[in-house]
Amino acid sequence: MVLQTMTNLIPDDITLAIPGNVGFFEVLIVVSFILHILFVNITIGSSVLAVGKEIQGMSKKDRKIDRIAQQLADHTSIMKSIAVVLGIAPLLLISVIYTQYFYSSTNLIGKAWLSLIALLITAFLILYLYKFTWEKMRGGSKALHVLIGATGSLILLFVPLIFIVNVVSMLYPTMWAGSEGFFHSLTYYPQIWQRYFHFILASFATSGIYLYFYNRRAEKKIERLLKEGETVEDEAEKREVHKMSKRLGIQTMFWTTALQLVAGTALLMSFEKEVMMLYMGEDALLTGLLLGSILLTLVLLFFLYKLGKTDSKGNFNAVIITFVIILVFMGWMRHELRESYLHDYIEANPRTTEKVLPVVETEDDEEGLEVELEEDAK
Amino acid sequence: MNYPVIEFPWLGNGMIIAIIAIIHVIVSHGVAIGMTVLMVSLEYQGLKTNNEKLINVAKTISKWVLIITTTVGAMTGVGIWLVTSVIQPDSIGSLLRIFFWAWFAEWIVFITEVVLLIIYYYTWDTWKGAKRKIHFRIGVTLSIFGWLTAMIITGILSAKLTPGKWTETLSFWNAFLNPTYIPSLAFRTFIAILLAVSLISLPIRLLIKDKEVRRDVFKVFSFWNALTVPGVLITGIWYLLSIPDEAKDLIIWSTGMPENIFNMLHVLGLALFLIFALWMAIKPERVPVILTIAIFFTSIAFIGEFEGVRESVRKPYIIYDYLYANGVEAAKVEKFNEEGYLANSAASPIKEVTAENQLEAGRELYKGQCIACHTVEGWRTKRNFGDRLEGWDEAALSGYISTLHETRPFMPPFVGTDDERDALAAYLIKVSNEGLDADLTQGSKEKDDEKEEQ
Repeated sequence: MVLQTMTNLIPDDITLAIPGNVGFFEVLIVVSFILHILFVNITIGSSVLAVGKEIQGMSKKDRKIDRIAQQLADHTSIMKSIAVVLGIAPLLLISVIYTQYFYSSTNLIGKAWLSLIALLITAFLILYLYKFTWEKMRGGSKALHVLIGATGSLILLFVPLIFIVNVVSMLYPTMWAGSEGFFHSLTYYPQIWQRYFHFILASFATSGIYLYFYNRRAEKKIERLLKEGETVEDEAEKREVHKMSKRLGIQTMFWTTALQLVAGTALLMSFEKEVMMLYMGEDALLTGLLLGSILLTLVLLFFLYKLGKTDSKGNFNAVIITFVIILVFMGWMRHELRESYLHDYIEANPRTTEKVLPVVETEDDEEGLEVELEEDAK
Repeated sequence: MNYPVIEFPWLGNGMIIAIIAIIHVIVSHGVAIGMTVLMVSLEYQGLKTNNEKLINVAKTISKWVLIITTTVGAMTGVGIWLVTSVIQPDSIGSLLRIFFWAWFAEWIVFITEVVLLIIYYYTWDTWKGAKRKIHFRIGVTLSIFGWLTAMIITGILSAKLTPGKWTETLSFWNAFLNPTYIPSLAFRTFIAILLAVSLISLPIRLLIKDKEVRRDVFKVFSFWNALTVPGVLITGIWYLLSIPDEAKDLIIWSTGMPENIFNMLHVLGLALFLIFALWMAIKPERVPVILTIAIFFTSIAFIGEFEGVRESVRKPYIIYDYLYANGVEAAKVEKFNEEGYLANSAASPIKEVTAENQLEAGRELYKGQCIACHTVEGWRTKRNFGDRLEGWDEAALSGYISTLHETRPFMPPFVGTDDERDALAAYLIKVSNEGLDADLTQGSKEKDDEKEEQ
């Protein structure tokens, strides 16, 4: 009985066909998810870094550190707007090609899923409040200002758990029957926390490189303005802030990326043995992707070290290129992981890929029916 | 019932969708589309007449457009997906498949819209001199993209009521360019701007102390009123004439108002808008606060009513002729009646009704077929079984359920076997008397005992 309920929990696919080639949609979901998660990473990492730096600036009474924090907060509120709209495509695609799994796992944590709306509206409004009150709340209300930022960041640190529970739960249809809502799922399903830490580290790393990128551009802009004979307000302070931000960016990315070697391994270990083995020799593509990304991570660390020593265009480009390749590898592997988990279920519960036209009554039939109805009425 | 069901016992599941959707409509129409047009036209007028104060008003408005659209607007927009995937998964799942490419295009339009809005807001002070013209052009492009989002989504919304030839061809373009598409897009376009004027006149009246600036702002708004008040009326009538008669008949019913009150309120509302538009045109320096307050709330009430009615008049369908309001596919009715509803419900732990599980089976049927609109003890008395079923017994109710869709044409038919229908009736009678936490196992046993005694 139990076994039967477990296997029957996967519904038939929707009668209407998936409106395109599933393979093509898989490419689209990987690409659009990478774009989305890149901005999500920057949003979360920058918002936490901003609060941390603001506190550091307060305790060291250093205005320059406060400026770094302010800059991070400014960018967070812009990045989050782009992150949200970029998320539409991957959400659309996962709903269309994994309907049977994704809608089931969504509804198992339905109320937590709905709470996303309130949580994110609150977090986003707080991010604006944090940013737009920065100057006004200097002085006496600085502590309150930090509290505002910290509240927003905590919400942003919590939200990924809801998404992770959903996309992990969809991989385990046989566990659905025992699921008791969101908080229970946090410890019920495997992989959740390993994924979470892998993701949070990536958020800091991505924010680090973005911080570096932005301040490098800002430095160049100052130089350009000076060349054109214009003056730059607070030039010395600005230059110092950019320099410090760049250093912070590199250090953050370096150390969080180094830690990924541990977090990534922990995540790999949390997979079912059959799936783990696919990455460790049994499947050439997956093994290649994994080895490639480990190797590239080491290469990235090397270039980051070099960039920290000399800020040259070559070093910077090397970091960016390695980072983008790793990002693509990670997005791709993440998708292949889902496919490995769902493969057998999809075979047993096929998707609707062929359009089946409904049987339509002809006009004559309808008239006939109406006559019958009229007769019935009499 | 393909997916697990979440229940909101007091609010009612439908209400959860309605709350998110109405907030989203107000923000998307009134702020993202309408307010953007207003702010860009204030910028235009400011640049043309060298009126820096007017440009400053546009700048302040743009800050609020940015804040509101990228928080409440964006999250209630995605929120409609989040909420429908929880409450109406079959419906949204089907719509995503029909309109995948429309939504995919919408994605690109949204990204462009947000990027343009960010550029527009953050370059007010940095683009000076000749670059101000570029800033204005960004604003115009932003307005166009705002409207494009509506152009795409309206195809989807209108198809739910009038899918036209789609039910036969399943073709995307048949669904998108459905019979009410053009009238409803025209209607929404005018609504968006009129709603924006209605929403922003109150804060402008209260917060802008400089009478001259206020007058100049209201003069610009008057131009839009002259266009949108008749526009809303004409396209509204056009839209109304293009919807199916079955739906038209349900309009007044779906507001829950008696006909005379409905008529009176709408004539009064219309009169209020005419007074508002005329006053703003004739005496822009002296628009009374009370009038702006009245318009603010009336416009919200109207838009809420419009969306509520539009969603309601589709009954018994949620996608006309294809999917019933409770997620049952019209084409599967016979299959369910023959094989049983529960047997075909992946999310139901019970597959067959027995004497022991009758009440629990009834609960699954309630979750599958009633919960989209009804509650047991919810606040809307018309939809709550606790109130509606007073004095009924199981046999009468079961008989009534079998002809429900005929006596009440806006109700979907019950689907399932006779045993399932009896189980649903038994469950509904039980919980309407004893509440949602009634012991369902005990109930069945008692009944068995009764049967044995007999």
